[in-house]
Amino acid sequence: MVPSHSYSRAAVATTAAAALLSLAACSGSAVSSAAGDAGAPLKIGVVLPLTGPVSETGKALQRGFELGVRKVNDSGGVNGKKVEYVVTDDAGDPATSTQLARKLIQQDRVSMLFGTITGDTAEAVSKVANDSEVPFGTAILGDNERCFRYAWGFGESTRQILLPSVPELIRKHGKRVAIAGSDYNYPHFYAGIVKEVAKSAGGTIVAEEYSPLGQTDWQSVITRLKDAKPDVLLSMVVGADAVAFSKQGQQFGLFRSELGYDGAPLDADYYPALSDLVNGRTHIVRWTDRLDHAESKKFVTDYRAAYKWTQPIPEVAGNAYFGVQFFLAAAGKAGRNDPKAINSEIGRMRFDSPLGKGTYFEPANHLLQADMLETTIGPGGAYAVTRNLGQITDTVAKQGCP
Amino acid sequence: MDVLLAIVGQFGLYGLLTLGVAIIFAALRVVNLAQGDLAMTGAYVVATVTGAAFGWRVLLALVLCVLPLMVIERALLRRPLADGLATMLVTWGVGMALRQGAELLFTSTSRSVADPVGGTVELLGTPYPAYRLVAGLVAVVVIGAVLLVTYRTGWGLTLRAVADNPTMAALLGTDPRRMRIAAFVAGGLLAVLAGALYSPLLAVNPTMGFGLLVPMFFALLFSRPGALGTAVAAAFLVAALAVLLRTWLTDTLADVLFYIVVIGTAALRSRSHVRRLLSWSRRILTPARP
Repeated sequence: MVPSHSYSRAAVATTAAAALLSLAACSGSAVSSAAGDAGAPLKIGVVLPLTGPVSETGKALQRGFELGVRKVNDSGGVNGKKVEYVVTDDAGDPATSTQLARKLIQQDRVSMLFGTITGDTAEAVSKVANDSEVPFGTAILGDNERCFRYAWGFGESTRQILLPSVPELIRKHGKRVAIAGSDYNYPHFYAGIVKEVAKSAGGTIVAEEYSPLGQTDWQSVITRLKDAKPDVLLSMVVGADAVAFSKQGQQFGLFRSELGYDGAPLDADYYPALSDLVNGRTHIVRWTDRLDHAESKKFVTDYRAAYKWTQPIPEVAGNAYFGVQFFLAAAGKAGRNDPKAINSEIGRMRFDSPLGKGTYFEPANHLLQADMLETTIGPGGAYAVTRNLGQITDTVAKQGCP
Repeated sequence: MDVLLAIVGQFGLYGLLTLGVAIIFAALRVVNLAQGDLAMTGAYVVATVTGAAFGWRVLLALVLCVLPLMVIERALLRRPLADGLATMLVTWGVGMALRQGAELLFTSTSRSVADPVGGTVELLGTPYPAYRLVAGLVAVVVIGAVLLVTYRTGWGLTLRAVADNPTMAALLGTDPRRMRIAAFVAGGLLAVLAGALYSPLLAVNPTMGFGLLVPMFFALLFSRPGALGTAVAAAFLVAALAVLLRTWLTDTLADVLFYIVVIGTAALRSRSHVRRLLSWSRRILTPARP
């Protein structure tokens, strides 16, 4: 059958729109420059969820990243050239992340990749980065069980959070530890490390509960947790579920003041929804906008001015801001835009920033070894630093890295 | 006791949504895929309007949604009504537009609504969150009132007549257009009420309505078109099954078993001999007309 005239016109319009969209995705950057080309500016490919359920976190990372690049460019760029970047939206979908990472490397010829929020998208980009031998940096907290030679995590690792927090919670509140989590890979991994750290601190696991994502009724989980009479509750219930779980837990009297409580719902991202529940509690972080450090304060001022931001600045923005500067310092040391050379420099790099003096990546797991901060959550979402815990090292080797 | 209260709580939420979608289905013969997003809209009105008491905010959500629901029915659903699939896709589009609109206006970050009634109440020795109980009871009362209207008023009779045979109802003087718009607004408002009423128990975000669709559709699957009582009974069974499984098993296992039981029952019900058996049992239970 011969397609009708209107149908072909629609097809032409669709093709034209797709072409326009793909051009728009290039964010005005030149497509001709090749990675490693002598004299070409260094180009970074950014893969982020700018739409979808985790888009707010993605946008926070983008803001931190952009200010980090701007700071480097204001000081002369890398190898005498201003750094360029291309931002793409994966909507939090790993299949899209894979496609975009490939496109950024093959078409846009980027020398490094940055971004992603969820673990599955980070792993998707890590695989592409590894295959193409292009370094990839992510800024979100938490780590996966596998390590990739070309992937580097600027967010705090699970052990870096739990090594200081769990023994302190057990010491303050008691030895009976309960774990709650959303039912996917990372919360199970998190629970494994909670068990390991709690056991070495003399604690006992009295309950372990997981619930599929998208749960609306938490009564049965909360009842089981209450029945176990825990002294400490560690929660890796994430996303909107973290809010529903916390709200319903509060209604059922789970979060009494004697209960030690830490985990994802205490992150700054959830503060606007859970302020009453988390005020006064302590939370371990890598970076907070209340950090008393000149460079950090400058970033906070710039962020608030640039984005007219009045709320607490998400931790991921700080990690991205200092993380991209670490990456670009490594590129400067490499002296050229060759991704392999930059990757080697990242592995050797020692970098001073508000995240710590001489921060570096542990070769056995590619996790940033940096300071950790104990904060106390105050009204208005002030994560005030009560203790600088210094560098909390996580040297546990992971499969995939030498 | 707390299991029974949990069933009442869940039934209130599922019941309002299912009854709403069943009313719309009765008059329009279309599954309203935007039902969950209408609940999200109600929750957002309650979460964003501050300074008024909770009850007034719920009322405001209902009042604000009347006109948009009328416009949606008139402007978007009337024309493609001849094609059920096209109408259903239109409701899907309406839902998407509501979700995207909420994301643009309020971002995707979850919000929470403070409990209008704090503390717990003691019921047969079991302390239970006061607002959970209030929300469940209000929902049950509303569901009961809607059923009463459906089975004891002229409007209800007309709705059931349209659901049974729209052509015959039109020939007997019923204006099907007026009935459709009234049913769409009433059904939509039940969803708005569900979202507004249960907002203090849930995380309010643009995609919250999506998760409410599955139990609602399952309940609709087990109800007979036009027989709103069966929709309410099915919502109760779905709520009871979900709560009981989660009480006895871990959440993940309970979810898997829930789907197996529901889909298995639906498959079994579609077999001819089971359908015949159900039909006979209905004839035995229903008294013969004089």
